[in-house]
Amino acid sequence: MVVVQEADFDAAALQQQLRRRTATRAGAIVTFTGYVRDYASDASTHSLFLEHYPGMCEREIEALCAHAKSRWDIDDCLVVHRVGELANAEQIVFVAVASAHRGEAFRACEYLIDALKTRAPFWKRETLADGKKFWVEQRQSDHEKTEQWNPPSTSEQAGDK
Amino acid sequence: MIKVLYFAQVAELTKTRQEDWPLDAPVSGAQWLESLIARYPELAPGKRLKLAINQEHAPLDALIRPGDEVAVFEPVTGG
Repeated sequence: MVVVQEADFDAAALQQQLRRRTATRAGAIVTFTGYVRDYASDASTHSLFLEHYPGMCEREIEALCAHAKSRWDIDDCLVVHRVGELANAEQIVFVAVASAHRGEAFRACEYLIDALKTRAPFWKRETLADGKKFWVEQRQSDHEKTEQWNPPSTSEQAGDK
Repeated sequence: MIKVLYFAQVAELTKTRQEDWPLDAPVSGAQWLESLIARYPELAPGKRLKLAINQEHAPLDALIRPGDEVAVFEPVTGG
């Protein structure tokens, strides 16, 4: 399930929802929650504004979930991503993956958040405490993290990390 | 005709979010971006423009065809 919404979410309730949906099959649920934080060491973040491409955004994340299901032995995944104006320390994104086995769930969850950051059409505009606003640039390190998951066959053969 | 969508900083620079663009024959993404920058020179400096065609990420050598929905944006920053 993929949801893009302005409203805040209840991470515990979402995890329960996935747990009910995968009960008796899932031996493990791994979750990731992302929060707004101070991004620069020398300036405090006041808020983020998140814009997205409705339609493509949901389809892109669904495609990432489908890819995760084909690559790892996972039962189901759930992604909720917020858009609009978010104050510092608020929740931004929630990813949960259910699997019979924890290793598969950990890997798929990390893949989903890494890939989402470089594939899903969201853009952040940051407002600093002094009122300065700017569009955030994609980090090279985020790009590299996603690249590390490719190609699937090579990384899995390299010791099945 | 194609439908063009602009997002985030690109939308701020073009001062529009959506417009119809005349197109009567297929053209590569790279060629089309040249005509876009000719119309909006403010998009040129230092912008790493990305395209999606019909809501899928598209390489610059992908073909844009009449009737397509084309989105223009900078590298994404969600999560």
